[in-house]
Amino acid sequence: MDEAIKNLTMRKSFGKSMLYTLPMFLLTFILMTGGRPDFSDRSGTIALLTTFLGLNILYFLMHYTGKTDKLRAILFIVFALTLSFTLIKNTIDIRQTMTYSQGDILECNMPFCHLVIPMLILPAAFTQSIIYPGSILGGFASISAMVVLWLAASVILGRGFCSWGCFYGGWDDGFSRFRKKPAIRKISDSWKWMPFAVLLMVALTSALALTPTYCDWMCPFKAVTEFEEVTGIESAAKAGIFISLFGGFVVVLPVLTKKRTQCSYLCPLGAINTLSNKVSPFIVKIDKQICNDCYKCVQACPMFALTNDDVKKGSVSIFCTKCGKCIDACPKQAIHYGIVGVPANRMVKFSRNIFLFVSFLFIAIFASGSIITVVKSFVNLFI
Amino acid sequence: MTAGLIWALCCLIVMIMLYFALGGLSEGFAKLPFMKLNPNTNGGELAQQVVMDNCTLMIRKPVFDGLLRERNKGFVQIEWKGDLPGKINDTIDYNMDSSPDFVIGIIVPENQVNLVALNPKVRDVGISTSTSYGWAARINIDK
Repeated sequence: MDEAIKNLTMRKSFGKSMLYTLPMFLLTFILMTGGRPDFSDRSGTIALLTTFLGLNILYFLMHYTGKTDKLRAILFIVFALTLSFTLIKNTIDIRQTMTYSQGDILECNMPFCHLVIPMLILPAAFTQSIIYPGSILGGFASISAMVVLWLAASVILGRGFCSWGCFYGGWDDGFSRFRKKPAIRKISDSWKWMPFAVLLMVALTSALALTPTYCDWMCPFKAVTEFEEVTGIESAAKAGIFISLFGGFVVVLPVLTKKRTQCSYLCPLGAINTLSNKVSPFIVKIDKQICNDCYKCVQACPMFALTNDDVKKGSVSIFCTKCGKCIDACPKQAIHYGIVGVPANRMVKFSRNIFLFVSFLFIAIFASGSIITVVKSFVNLFI
Repeated sequence: MTAGLIWALCCLIVMIMLYFALGGLSEGFAKLPFMKLNPNTNGGELAQQVVMDNCTLMIRKPVFDGLLRERNKGFVQIEWKGDLPGKINDTIDYNMDSSPDFVIGIIVPENQVNLVALNPKVRDVGISTSTSYGWAARINIDK
């Protein structure tokens, strides 16, 4: 048994890890520089190289240490923080304030984010039009580019998008790591269906009102990006809801439960991405021949994707975001990244290598723009 | 097993190509029939344009669009583009039947709006706000 575990360890030698990092090194360099590196701007060059090296060091360490989750979380959390900073900075640059007015809505220059997508589907099907006041193409965060990115990532990663692509998930992922042990342990498993109820509600209300109701009334991340200018009771109520939901679902509950409660209980896009797990070729597998039913993976899972029954059956549920926390927590290396159709305990290293490459490439390039912006802003403070 | 592996390798190739092709893919996606803004969002099509001394008054088509059919209640969006005077006072014929439908008065610095309905279908002011190009207002109307 120990020999089997030894053979399965995901750690690689320094040289082999470097070799595996080389394709990522080259691709990230080409994509981050657009193939034409321009080092004329000093602060821009420092920011670019810092981000580039930081990303590739994280990827190298994933191979060298054999661990995934903590290294992924560093990038995921940095992405969330820098994206919020970039959005706020961009909003302030354009509007001189973090709030948007009714004029901004009428002018249709609101930046688009993937959380809006569930509200677009029914109106697009019935009215052949988009109900979000943003730019279809061009400008900052256009609807077309964001939908294409999300579609591709969802088909390829499934709900892995929620741990490897969503630029908000890092917030509650970060807060869920504050405590060593959860203060609230007993949470009913049935709460994990809540996002489907939210999805149904926002999809129907948005279709009936032809306005994105989740953005207007429920999005917790308005509190860390941009929100409607408070001009009356309604806008004050909205601001209060945004701040309360952010405080409750993104800060307090993740700290107390060590779970990503916003992603698990509230996010309507998470519900759609749960279904996209059926399309993705990448899944997390449990090898029942090695598993000793210690259930450390169940405790570690931040998404309610693993129950004792799942472990007994030897399969991870459709709610899995492929964050890798259960894989890292397993003392027997019985859980691993796998490919649909390939039996557990077969092609384990190959499956991990290909999944890490695909998922890391997606988040690295997606995140690099906002990280570079923030690093550049800091560098400009000192030079 | 083979199908899973082939699908995974296809996904690997798509991911490598994704960012290189993002511009083209986005442009292609934007050409899909549903990739246009809903009139409830962008205010509807432009119907009339009146050039005045320092600014241009733009009156859009009334919007009654609903999910499955037209609604009984809608709005008409009007915009003033250019250098706005301190006081705006315009008579609007939004349905182009040659009889005025409402008179809208705006004291721009104080954001005060006054609407005088001349047509019983005109209800009230929905939105009145400054914009980067001047001023915009949505007047709620019945069908």
